[in-house]
Amino acid sequence: MARDATRRRVLAIGAVTLPLAVAGCKGLGALGTPPKPAPGVAIVSHAITVETRLIAHYGAVLAAMPALAGTLRPLLAHHHDHLARLRARLIIPPGSRAPDLASSAASPSSSRSPRAVPGTPAAALGYLRDAENAAADAQLAHLAAAPPSLAQLLASISASEATHAMILGQVRHR
Amino acid sequence: MTARPATRRSAPARADGPAAVAALQAALAAENSAVYGYGVAGAHLAGGKRAAAVRNWVAHQNARDALTAMLAARGAQPAAAAAAYELPFSVHGSAAAVALATTLEDRVSAAYLGLVGLSDPGLRAFGARAVRTAALRAAAWRGSTLAFPGLDVPVPRQARAPTAGRGTTAQASPPGSPTPSPPG
Repeated sequence: MARDATRRRVLAIGAVTLPLAVAGCKGLGALGTPPKPAPGVAIVSHAITVETRLIAHYGAVLAAMPALAGTLRPLLAHHHDHLARLRARLIIPPGSRAPDLASSAASPSSSRSPRAVPGTPAAALGYLRDAENAAADAQLAHLAAAPPSLAQLLASISASEATHAMILGQVRHR
Repeated sequence: MTARPATRRSAPARADGPAAVAALQAALAAENSAVYGYGVAGAHLAGGKRAAAVRNWVAHQNARDALTAMLAARGAQPAAAAAAYELPFSVHGSAAAVALATTLEDRVSAAYLGLVGLSDPGLRAFGARAVRTAALRAAAWRGSTLAFPGLDVPVPRQARAPTAGRGTTAQASPPGSPTPSPPG
């Protein structure tokens, strides 16, 4: 509850400061009609939050079980690719504070929020598999409302996460 | 909000009518070539891999039939399958057969991603499910995952060909059935 409120506030601050930063160049007259954020912005922000959380889950498991690095690093690398591709879709005016949308959404919630990492490698892999499946579904939550190219990116990322879950389910841990 | 529900209702589906037909045709073409390709791949596989190839071959036939019906429902003429397809590389052994199956699934996932780019929410969701299914099959063949299935499709590559093949197109012999689907 409190976490959601924090995130909402961060998003709200971004929504206010963005138009102000843009309007700064045009003088006060420009403030009359604040530009609306493009329809995909909120969806991209949501997708970035999903990826950031997933990366935090991987970080927690890797910190607790470095022996899983060989299995997890290639999957984690894909999530960094997802994050980079999503962030590239947000055009942030220089000087604005908005680019930290994702990391600020991540730091208060994700670094503290993930449930404790299970104590065995098998359980930790199951924990990540569940997180991947949840993310795969979450990335499709706003599919219908997204602009076409964003919808395609989200569907591709979702499919990638479904394959991660499959691979994690097949890992033989010694 | 309440102003013109009647015109709004039909707008999204109509808006991408020709685009939807084109995307469905592209998906159908990918399914047709997958049906043919799995026939080639299955002939070079044994055991569990052959069983997987047969399962996927049947699944692609079902998907082909579903797309054919969707196109017919839109009043479009479903594109017929070709009698033979040029393979991305020659297939003479199980490694190449697995590489071919992987490539087929990569291409199918890319084709369905075209449906996700339409405005019709039903076709988007249908496409997204199909992209996921194909990506799962591709990952199972590949033994690893891609960051952007359907979007960044790897160049088809045969897994280390021992000698340069003579023929480019292998004979089709779908597992469990003698010939690929004839045109028309």
